[in-house]
Amino acid sequence: MRVAVTGTPGTGKTTAVERLDTRAGGHAHVVHLNDVIREEGLHDGEDPDRASLYADFEALGEWLDEHAPGDDAVVVESHLAHHFDADRVVVLRCHPETLESRLRERGEPTETARENAEAEALDVILGEAVQRHGADAVYEIDTTDRSPDEVAEEVRAAVAGERAPSAGTVDFTGWL
Amino acid sequence: MSQQEPEGRWAIAHVHASFNNTIITITDETGAETLAKSSGGTVVKQNRDEASPYAAMQMAETVAEDILAQGIEGVHVRVRGPGGNLQKNPGPGAQATIRALARAGLEIGRIEDVTPIPHDGTRPPKNSGF
Ligand SMILES: Nc1ncnc2c1ncn2[C@@H]1O[C@H](COP(=O)(O)OP(=O)(O)O)[C@@H](O)[C@H]1O
Ligand SMILES: [Mg+2]
Repeated sequence: MRVAVTGTPGTGKTTAVERLDTRAGGHAHVVHLNDVIREEGLHDGEDPDRASLYADFEALGEWLDEHAPGDDAVVVESHLAHHFDADRVVVLRCHPETLESRLRERGEPTETARENAEAEALDVILGEAVQRHGADAVYEIDTTDRSPDEVAEEVRAAVAGERAPSAGTVDFTGWL
Repeated sequence: MSQQEPEGRWAIAHVHASFNNTIITITDETGAETLAKSSGGTVVKQNRDEASPYAAMQMAETVAEDILAQGIEGVHVRVRGPGGNLQKNPGPGAQATIRALARAGLEIGRIEDVTPIPHDGTRPPKNSGF
């Protein structure tokens, strides 16, 4: 089974999934897609306004099918993970104000923190995930006031099929 | 642009279309002054309907009346966000909004999709959005 863990940058995907790895005793195969894009060169130029590489979706899809086939238990972690085939899609959420300060603290430029906060307020990734995979495959988790361990536990429950799908449980448009 | 719009004032209609909600804000052309504002919550009580095209339409009618009374002749439209049901670009809430603004008697100028792009050193391809 392939599970995509997605969400706007700053929602805590990498942090949560690293803890998931430890808790599972290292058995869960975790793919950090952003690392793959860089290390394997699966991109197509750079967006100069955002200092971000354009991911090559076709090449990434092929790479995933070869290295992370759905018959293995695999977690694919990235804000782009929902753009690929998956059995389940976990979407991490975070209030835009909290997200913006997390990103600033991580050292992201002001504009990056701001645009991601706006994308989070507009449910951009949730919408894409539901559009591609259907509401039955989407598991939304609000991380706003939760510790990384709590988030990791919720992700684990979704991966293990111990909770029901959900989408649209938060409304962050008040921030706009 | 200015040759085609010799009379009346123009404004900008900002349409924020999220999964659960649509917000329409009308500002002057510089974006500095807010002339009218409406969000799904003020028109439709039931939460699940706030992103519906119907709610967006009603909101658009209200803000259109409001700004027509302020002497606005037409609007440029800036859409942010895919909206609730997100079948097509822009979302159904945004499409309904634009149609309703036009029906209320406003001229429609440029329509721009300025949906924010999640990024952190990587981003989706250029034309993968909505
Ligand atoms: N649950 C949490 N609560 C508070 N801060 C968090 C949480 N999860 C992650 N962070 C912090 O927020 C920032 C972004 O986390 P990260 O895991 O890199 O997010 P992502 O991989 O989704 O971009 C990091 O500085 C991290 O330490
Ligand atoms: Mg990360």
